[in-house]
This record gives sequence, structure tokens and C-alpha cells, in this order.
Amino acid sequence: MFASFQKYRAAFTVGLQSNLVYRWNFAVRGLFSLFHLVVVFTLWGAAFSGQSEIGGFDLRQTLTYFVIILPLTFMIGAFNEDYQISEEIRNGMINQFLLKPVNYYAYRFSVFVSARLVSGLLVLLPLAIAFPILKDTLVIPVDWPARLALGLPAMFLSALVQFTIAYCFGLLTFWFLEIQSFVILSMAVEVLLGGQMFPLDLLPAWLFQLSSYLPYYYMMYFPAAIFTGRLPLGEIASGLAIQAAWVVILLVIAQFLWMRGLRKHTAVGG
Amino acid sequence: MSLTHYLKIWLASVRYSVVRTMMFRMDFLMWALVELFWMGVNILLINVIYAHTDSIAGWSKYEMLLLVGTAMILQRLMMGFFWSNLFEMGRNIRTGQFDFFLAQPGNPLFMLSTRKIDLDSILNCFVAISVVIFSVVKLGLHPSWLDLAFYVLLLGCALLIHYAAVLVIVSTTFWLIGSQGIEGSYFTLFEFSRLPRQAFVGAREVIFVWMLPAVISSNVPASVLIHGFQLSYVLWLVAAAVFWLTIGVLVFRAGLRRYASASS
Repeated sequence: MFASFQKYRAAFTVGLQSNLVYRWNFAVRGLFSLFHLVVVFTLWGAAFSGQSEIGGFDLRQTLTYFVIILPLTFMIGAFNEDYQISEEIRNGMINQFLLKPVNYYAYRFSVFVSARLVSGLLVLLPLAIAFPILKDTLVIPVDWPARLALGLPAMFLSALVQFTIAYCFGLLTFWFLEIQSFVILSMAVEVLLGGQMFPLDLLPAWLFQLSSYLPYYYMMYFPAAIFTGRLPLGEIASGLAIQAAWVVILLVIAQFLWMRGLRKHTAVGG
Repeated sequence: MSLTHYLKIWLASVRYSVVRTMMFRMDFLMWALVELFWMGVNILLINVIYAHTDSIAGWSKYEMLLLVGTAMILQRLMMGFFWSNLFEMGRNIRTGQFDFFLAQPGNPLFMLSTRKIDLDSILNCFVAISVVIFSVVKLGLHPSWLDLAFYVLLLGCALLIHYAAVLVIVSTTFWLIGSQGIEGSYFTLFEFSRLPRQAFVGAREVIFVWMLPAVISSNVPASVLIHGFQLSYVLWLVAAAVFWLTIGVLVFRAGLRRYASASS
């Protein structure tokens, strides 16, 4: 047990080093995200003029939601894990994992955790720069201790949902040479149904209800809505249950794709 | 070289792109779908916001849809005609493959900008045009032929602005070889083109309306269609197009002088 943990710790350390190489990419990406926040602030600021609330929340609460999305993306979001996996399958790097007692999912997840540690810390930099401007906008819900306690496990499960979906898309390389279009298509769905475009609770009630049964809801909206008070405390427990169920379902799908994919795999190169 | 000669070269590129697309039909369909979906996401955002409010900075729902449709036409044209070419220019500078374009008998900027076109984006351009037509009908507008001519002319100016912006961004590769991913700033910058000009106040107005050409590139054509011809607005966009294109070409030329081919 301990020995197997050691293996993935090594993967984590290597991942940490290789991701530190890309620190500037993450920093630049963080900076671009600030521009995106300017778009969001401008759009919603104009939408709120002449009315004090939209969907039961005032302007500051709505903007806080969008601000929270930014660090969440860098802490739990899957960035290019799908491409990396796709690359490893295509150029035969994956063959070494078939010969060693290393679980590919666990290996990849260790690298993902180290990557998010690096990007999650780096995003604090642009946020710190923007803080003097942002601080008058942010509203912290009064019941924040409970929300923090429930939001952190939700965040962890979100990371698992995000990573496992990216992992599954990466595995599609066993069947399709080019997965880029799949990835960008699913990214559009994620941005929409994950609540990055607008808080999902602004959808018509039936659509919002429907979205809460989809995995996308648990990629970003769920933890963000817990932290910012958009989700009533009483509804969080059932949400966590559905989220955990999705993690299990996605893991089963991932394992199925892996087994089926290996049968098609012909180990080119390596 | 004469203009007809360049036209012939361009037509050859078009023919090449069509043949290529027909070879990878599945790819074409997939990418067309991807763009269509992204446009749908943006339209949905407008629908959701206007379900809760009547106006954004004085723009009604269908005026806003017309603006977003205009921004989409622009971005599709940019993606269709120039994006891949300029994106590959950055990559070619890094690898040294850029030599190939310098060796061609023609203006290097022309040769590299027109190498291929992406038909999926051109196809989706018609979807974006439909969004604009739909909004015009919903708003009960009856633009004259002259208004329409101005709209098309202004879209052309705005396209030049987008082209110049990407050219400037990609040309930085001549100085910063490791600037991979910098092309993405184009999408960040032109996210602003989906917003109404009146929504920008204070410092934001100075930066995004007056200094950077993102907001006016979509707002001026859309306004001409909604409110008719306004001389000052039109002159502003034409001047911005001339200015940014000049900057783009100057930066590209300065970069070209620095280009020393890659060592590998």
C-alpha cells in the first residue's frame, strides 16, 4: 500500500517540476482571465442598471460568483489533460505503462494534482493585483463557515469529475486520431452547462432542474454556488450525493474505455 | 506583380482549400458543428439575460442580438480567411519554416495571409448573417440599399482591424520566440466586441472604446444598420482601420528585418 503510494508521489513530483516550466503560460492565462472579468463586469453591470436584482441576487452577489469561478478554474479545472493523454497514446508513450505495475489513471491524476497546485497558486498573483479593485465588489455569505465546510469536498469531487471527463476524451484517441474537435465541442457544453457563462439558476426553472442531473453542473457551478450562497444550505447534501454518483459513473466509463481501447491499441512507436 | 496575378494565386489557394476540405469531410463537419455550437452558447447568454431585464446599456434584446450577430460575422470571416494562416506564421517563425514564404515570388505578407481558407467558418458565416437578418426583421427595420452597402463596407473595415490586430500579436514572435499561446489574446480582446459601446464607462471606455479597436469594430456597423448612417461614426471606423493596418504592416516589416531563420 505504502509502496504504491510512493510511486504516485514520484509522478506528482515530476509533474510539479514539469509544470513549473510552464509557469509563465499559467500566469499569462491568469492575466487573460482578468480581461474576461472586465467583460463580465461590463456586461452584467449594464444588465443590472435600473434594477436591484436578477434572479434574487444583487449585482455584487452576481459578480462575486464570476470572480470565484476564476480561481476555481485554475484549482480544479482540466486544462490540457485530454491532449496530453491523446499525445501519449498516439506516440506510443503509453506502452511503458502497460509493462509496469502503474495504474495509468492514478499516474495521470497525480500529474493533474501537481499541475493544479502550480496553476492554483499562480492564479493568486493576478487576483492579488486585481484585489484592490475587486474588494468592494465581493460579498461573503453570512453562513460562510458551513458553506466552506461543504464546499471543499464538493470542490474535490468537482476536480475528479473534471479530470475524469478529460481522461475519457483523451482515451477516445484509441478510436479517433484527431480529438481536438471533440474536446472543443465538449468545452462549449461545459462552459454553458457548467455555469461559467452565467449562473445556472438564471435558467428557466425546469431547465435548471434538468441541468442539476447532468455531470456538467458538478464541474464548476456546484462548488461556486455553494461558496457564494446561490444554493440553499439544505440542498447541498443531495447535490453532493448526485456528484459522488457521477464520479463513480465516470470512473466506470473511464475504465471501460481503457479496457476496450487497449484491445484496439497496436503500440506504434515507443 | 500585377493584381490579376495575385488574384490567380488566391484562387489557386481557394481551390486547394476546397480539395482539402473534401478530403477530410468528417473533420469539416465536426468543426462546422463546433463553431455553430459556440455561437449558440453566445445567443443563449443573451436570451438568459433578457429573460431578467429589458435593456443592456440602452440596447433592446434584438438590437443586442444584431450586435452579437455582427461580431460573429466578423469573427467567422477572420477565422475563415486569415486565422489559420496567421496562426501558422507564428509556428513557422519558431521552426524556421517561414523561409519557405520568403522564397516565394510575391509579397510575403500576401503569400502567408492567403495560403488557405477554412470553409467551415465561411459556412457558419451564413449562420451569423441569418442571426443579423432575423434581428433586423424582429426590430422591424427597413434598411435602404445604401445602409446595407455601408454595413458591408464597414464590416470590411472591421475585418481589416481584426486582421491587423492578429498580425501585430503574431508578429511579436519575431522578437519573443517562446511566445506560444499568445495568439489566444485575440479571442480575449475581441470578446469585448460583443458588448455595446454604451456599457463602457470611465477608464474602461478610454481603454476598450478609444484606445483598442475591439468595441467599435462591431458597434459601428451594427449602429449603422439600427440607426442609419452617421458620418462621425463611419469616419471613426475607417480611420481606425487605416491606422491599425498601418501599425500591423509596420510591425510585421520590422519583425521581418529581425528574422534570422531558425538554427535547427
